Amino acid sequence: MSTPRVRRLPLRGADLVLVAMQALWKRAGVSNNTVMVVQCDGPLDSSRVARALGRFLHFCPWPAARLRRPFPWGALHWAARSRATLTVPPVRHRCLGGPEALHAALEAELNTAIDPRREPPLRFSILEWPSDGSPQSALVLTWFHPLMDPRGGQNLLAHLAHLDETDGRGPWGGAPPAFMAAPDPRPLKERGRLGRRSQRYMRALVPASPVSPGTPLTTPGRVRFTQMSFVDDDYAIDGVRSTREICWRLAQVGRTMADLWRRRGLPDLPFLVPVSVDLRPKGEPGATFGNVLAFHFARFKPSETADVAALTRTLRDQMTEALRDGQIDASAVAMEFLKYRPLALMLRDLPGTATRETFSFNCADLAEFPPALEKLFGRRVINAYHAPSVLPRPGVGVFFNRCGIRNNLVVSWIEGAVNEEEVARITEGVREGMGWRPAL
Amino acid sequence: MSTGNLSRLDPEEVARAVTEFINATIMARSRPVRPDDDLELAGLDSMALLKVLLFIEAHYGFWMPDEDLVADNIRTARAFANYICRRSA
Repeated sequence: MSTPRVRRLPLRGADLVLVAMQALWKRAGVSNNTVMVVQCDGPLDSSRVARALGRFLHFCPWPAARLRRPFPWGALHWAARSRATLTVPPVRHRCLGGPEALHAALEAELNTAIDPRREPPLRFSILEWPSDGSPQSALVLTWFHPLMDPRGGQNLLAHLAHLDETDGRGPWGGAPPAFMAAPDPRPLKERGRLGRRSQRYMRALVPASPVSPGTPLTTPGRVRFTQMSFVDDDYAIDGVRSTREICWRLAQVGRTMADLWRRRGLPDLPFLVPVSVDLRPKGEPGATFGNVLAFHFARFKPSETADVAALTRTLRDQMTEALRDGQIDASAVAMEFLKYRPLALMLRDLPGTATRETFSFNCADLAEFPPALEKLFGRRVINAYHAPSVLPRPGVGVFFNRCGIRNNLVVSWIEGAVNEEEVARITEGVREGMGWRPAL
Repeated sequence: MSTGNLSRLDPEEVARAVTEFINATIMARSRPVRPDDDLELAGLDSMALLKVLLFIEAHYGFWMPDEDLVADNIRTARAFANYICRRSA
């Protein structure tokens, strides 16, 4: 009897960076999970989710794949055999005592690290709790972050919702969409030139390793997170500056981090903050699997954060220069070449990684939860947000997203790097700077 | 594309050029925008906006200052075009 042929999906670019960053903390066994939480207006039927997932595997095996790397350091890839051998990722159902138990359940999801070599790289949970007599629920998608970025997680949900709605009929008009981004078509010589250019740029970016709240941390604690929803009055401040602009948001977060630095007496060394850039063409969902990202690196000193408008201009100028010089595109190309390196050397060219320092803090705008997902598995979506794990260094990250009229603000942290009081100050500082009111 | 005589820019032609740039470099092929489409609703983010500003700098010879980045000037490709023509007049 012949063994079913193995299909392989290589990890590329940002996927490899995420794997390598986690490998810096191999002995501490830190989690690389991300959760996406979709709150719905009533109970969800777990069998519908499992059925849609089972149907999806007929078209795309990667939710049931395993992470593999041939000896000694061949290319990391997702491996899957034929549909008959694939096991549908788990869809668990849990009843909670009340809404207060939800947060603990979500933090447990973040901390129960997925081992993608031995189990599917994602899992679903349906959490249900009573609220004013009528049950509410949340669909929680937990995945090993290198498998997908947050946009990919949304795309996967959209595909599953489509398969749920088209049960028994030909989905996608008979032609499945492309679930992965196409490889870079440029010749190796050109990509090599761009990659080397990015390496030189990265080495010159900051003179010293960045400091982060996690710097003094020797024994990392659990991953924690807090989430709050707000509504905003103004799309612009003084009719000029869009509060949705990433530079404005990063400046607001930078101001709250500088406050943390001052309280701790940390040196006025430049912050180094990666800003992820979604490479998918706009207007359509695009790839589901793989982190389809490039990076820009923002630099500014804590002492430069007092004037947020001036800092926003500085950050926008940096981003403009990086775009003008082609450095953002070059960063994506350079990351592709990591596949030729052993894991321990993958991050050699990122600033500070020799001391396991990566960045000063994380910050990202995970954009709009798609209006197309207003209904999911027969239920109306009330709110949706992402909570990614952060690594012990930098130890804290601030993430924005929007669902309908709600602006969600998520702060993820590692216990020991920052405490709850500091996180509350960060949240309140950003809320105040954004001019947001708590959502009812 | 030639910048030509900026004082004689035709708003319709500029709107077409800005739209073509956005469709060629930012939008998915299957989802082109039209000159009056809301660019934020079409999915343009901060980075995409900067790409449009760089296009304007390269083709019309000036950088849009921060104080002009208001909704009336950047909401649609036509809004960009009207701004470019006003600024060049």
